[in-house]
Amino acid sequence: MTLMTMVMKMASGLEKTCAIFFLTLLFALPLGMAVAMMRGSKIKPVSAVAGFLISVLRGTPLMLQLIAVTYGPYYLFGVSVSRNKLIPVVIAFSINYAAYFAEIYRGGIESMPVGQYEAAQVLGYSRAQTFLKIILPQVIRRILPSVTNEIVTLVKDTSMAFTVSYQEMFTIGKQIANSETSFIPFLVAGVFYYVFNLIVSFVMGKVEKKMSYYKM
Amino acid sequence: MNKKIIAIVIAAVIAALSLGLAGCGAKTSPEESTAAPEEAPARTSFTMGIDPEYPPFSYLGKDGEYTGFDVEVCKAVCEKLGWEFKVFAVNWDQKLVQLDSNECDCVWSGMTILDSMKEAGYIISRPYFDNEQVLLVKADSSFNSSKDLAGKAVAVQLGTSGESLLNGDLKDLADTFSEVVTSNSFTSCFTELAGGAVDAVFVDAPVAEDYIAKNDGFRIIDEDLGAEQYGIAFRSGDEELCAQVEGALDAIIADGTYAKIAEKYPDIQGNLLLTR
Repeated sequence: MTLMTMVMKMASGLEKTCAIFFLTLLFALPLGMAVAMMRGSKIKPVSAVAGFLISVLRGTPLMLQLIAVTYGPYYLFGVSVSRNKLIPVVIAFSINYAAYFAEIYRGGIESMPVGQYEAAQVLGYSRAQTFLKIILPQVIRRILPSVTNEIVTLVKDTSMAFTVSYQEMFTIGKQIANSETSFIPFLVAGVFYYVFNLIVSFVMGKVEKKMSYYKM
Repeated sequence: MNKKIIAIVIAAVIAALSLGLAGCGAKTSPEESTAAPEEAPARTSFTMGIDPEYPPFSYLGKDGEYTGFDVEVCKAVCEKLGWEFKVFAVNWDQKLVQLDSNECDCVWSGMTILDSMKEAGYIISRPYFDNEQVLLVKADSSFNSSKDLAGKAVAVQLGTSGESLLNGDLKDLADTFSEVVTSNSFTSCFTELAGGAVDAVFVDAPVAEDYIAKNDGFRIIDEDLGAEQYGIAFRSGDEELCAQVEGALDAIIADGTYAKIAEKYPDIQGNLLLTR
């Protein structure tokens, strides 16, 4: 197999890697905010439930969660395993990453000085207005570096979908490496991930610049 | 001033470390190359590399210890030769790399002899088992031949001879499937089949038979898709080790130990080659 065919074959799996990546971000970013809100809620049981969820999702391996989401329903309730593996994979990734994002959001929200809330109140802002117009934009600016960190990890974690036989790029790389007894596919995979992350870092850098208005 | 001194010290430490590392690198390689040929001092232990999810040849027994036909035979061989018996569970799609890196002394786990292994210089023992690749399907499915699986999803374990076949001699057949799903173990292939995510599993006959014996609701499509043989793989240059193991195998066949072990695995008995 020439290098070119190898790269082309692996690039065909890149589509699935990207699907995991973008869908996970799409669901995990807002879901994380919802969980962060629950966590910061004044109603004790709500905040306790959110705290428990976060501790379980952060305290168990993503690989285990992938297997649990994909095969758990079959073993527990006899529900058939999804033919389209993208569904359980994205669910598992989304809830896992939502837990991490939630904690990042919470850190950002809690870092805002109380004085700003008080000032907003004096100026006649409602609580919702204060949060959406004053606090949130600054929070987003503040947490961007941590979020970028998490997103970069997500790019690399997509390779874990192999555990549930989802044929993403790294799985295809492993197949080629095995049939060709060659190390090259792993190098190619490394380059793919690296370039992917370069793009992510570049885009996130741009976003950070855009948001610099809210920097304190 | 202080900063400068610190910088110089750090630079010196880094330089020293890198020199040291380079030195190590240079040192170990000739040592290895000289050590290999004269390694002869009597072997005291023998590590067999197995796929830990490959019943009935090698699997984790109910008592939490690795067992299976291959494991028991290897244990008997080690006893015969006075070696300490050790097991190392390999990552099947990296088994030969792990063998080369000395993590185990052989790969002995229902391993199909492939020409590519011999070409790559591995020492392969005499074949000891006649194997066949089959398709395992659900008992209540309507599939009766590989042709019925056109447009269906088929699972196979990564790094197995079945996977090589689907990429090689059986490429035409594989192309009729809607998808070939590669998993990292047959256990997950079977879960995919049982859970309805795939329609068939392409697997070695004894493994399929073992699964049917332990689980209801599955059957094998009666169609020979590829005959092959199992052997034991050793590193290139380990001819002597291979000969020792083969000698011990002959010895335990002669004293009846081998037959006693084989009796425990009635499903595979008919295909054993060494006792024919």
